[in-house]
Amino acid sequence: MARIRICGLSLGYAGEPVIRGMDGAFAEGQATAVIGPNGAGKSTLIKALAGLIAPMAGVVTIEGASRRDIAYLAQDGGVDRDFPISVEDLVALGFERRLGLFGGVGVAERERLSTAIAAVGLTGLERRPIGALSGGQFQRALFARVMVQDAPVILLDEPFTGLDARTTAALGEVVRRWAGEGRTVLVALHDLDVARRLCGQALVFARQVVAWGPSPQTLTAESIERARALAEGWSGREAA
Amino acid sequence: MNGIGLDLPGLAPAAAGGVIVKTAAAGALSLAFGGAPLGTLLIARRMSLMGDALSHGILLGAAAAFLLAGRDPLALTVGALIAALVVTGLSSLLARTRRLPEDAAFAVVYLPALAAGVVLMSRKAGPEALEAMLFGAASALDRGGLVLAASAASVSLVALALFIRGFVAESVDPGFTRAEGAGGWLHLLFMMLVALNLVAGFRAFGALMTVALMMIPAAGARFWARGWAGQAGVAVLISAAASGAGLVVAARLGVEPGAVMTLCAAALFAGSGLFGVNGGVLVTLAGRRRLAGRAPVA
Repeated sequence: MARIRICGLSLGYAGEPVIRGMDGAFAEGQATAVIGPNGAGKSTLIKALAGLIAPMAGVVTIEGASRRDIAYLAQDGGVDRDFPISVEDLVALGFERRLGLFGGVGVAERERLSTAIAAVGLTGLERRPIGALSGGQFQRALFARVMVQDAPVILLDEPFTGLDARTTAALGEVVRRWAGEGRTVLVALHDLDVARRLCGQALVFARQVVAWGPSPQTLTAESIERARALAEGWSGREAA
Repeated sequence: MNGIGLDLPGLAPAAAGGVIVKTAAAGALSLAFGGAPLGTLLIARRMSLMGDALSHGILLGAAAAFLLAGRDPLALTVGALIAALVVTGLSSLLARTRRLPEDAAFAVVYLPALAAGVVLMSRKAGPEALEAMLFGAASALDRGGLVLAASAASVSLVALALFIRGFVAESVDPGFTRAEGAGGWLHLLFMMLVALNLVAGFRAFGALMTVALMMIPAAGARFWARGWAGQAGVAVLISAAASGAGLVVAARLGVEPGAVMTLCAAALFAGSGLFGVNGGVLVTLAGRRRLAGRAPVA
């Protein structure tokens, strides 16, 4: 199992810190919801954990896994949906780390590919170009790619934004299964109900740690209100 | 006009007869196999302008080599390749700092490179040499040039076969590839392959026309196939057909083939847009008509 530990972490853009001197550790083998208002730095934190932005100060250590053992799903996907590629080929990109650049997709991979595609309910659409998928189907395909990556650490940035209730429920089930398999999962969310349902742990975050621990004790009206008050503080300053 | 290529004294391309046309055909065919699949990827990743930018950027290198070593084809090629490396590297670096989008970063680097190339060439070599670099001189395609074109095609196809998964991953989802720890060097390698093909073609068919033969067939191929691989195959066919037809017509008209080949590619693109099975005009119209025929039921 992998444990993510953060020590004195400061993150920001263009020399301006957004998050200053954050400390803590994410519970290993569990799902943690990262909850916070817009601009709280949730995406920034997750990108830093994925190794996509360098800390201005401090360190992120991943115990029990290497930096390369992280599966990261960006908020907007960042995927060019006009690219001429099929669902199957998109999902197969998840093998990249396992196979290296030269390895071929063999029988075992084919099997895992179809299992992953079936698990997200896309069986029958394998050959469809990704441009012809609905938003929900596309997000399902991206989840299948994460599944294929088979990583001990999974970072999801607002994975349910813009999805209908049915898709959210289906993909939420996948998140719960990942945690059940002992993977360390972080999910940036803004829906408290979804967070309570899917994640045993929660971090309420507003450019600093507001509350961190088991979801029932953490996702309280007080901590959410405190995060909102902090957000009003910085949005007021930035508007000025 | 023999331009700055290897001179064949007294022989205009049209008058040079079968030998030149055959060499040019072999060179163009090689470029079709090497360049068209790259063009497909460039279009798929919305980087059509990058090929154009690179083709301008290599002029500075070729001009510098021309001034240093005269008409030596090897020097011209090496100079152009170095310029391509510098243009690609500098603009990638600029884009990486995230102060500029990638296409803007390219524009900021390649336009000055083009300008410097133009200044150098006009001062030291005269307008014909510059024109030959932009629009080509088929007579410049000697054995060395042919070997270069064939090598560029071979290297491109081998590299595509080896790295295609990485190239596609990097095109579809750059953020994902970066998180996976590849990305940067794959991108550079890809741009170098594009540069290599442009360099291989630019002396014979001109920098601008070579990029046209890379991009226009790839654009046309989108009307025939949905997947990347199918598009690449069709693009090779269109490019080869355009080159062949262009060479024959150019020999008849007694003009440089690069421009005629480009026009032939454009004609094939128009044909593809009209008759193509994947979103072509006729197919779309037929589909609408079928729908309209059913409409009264509702």
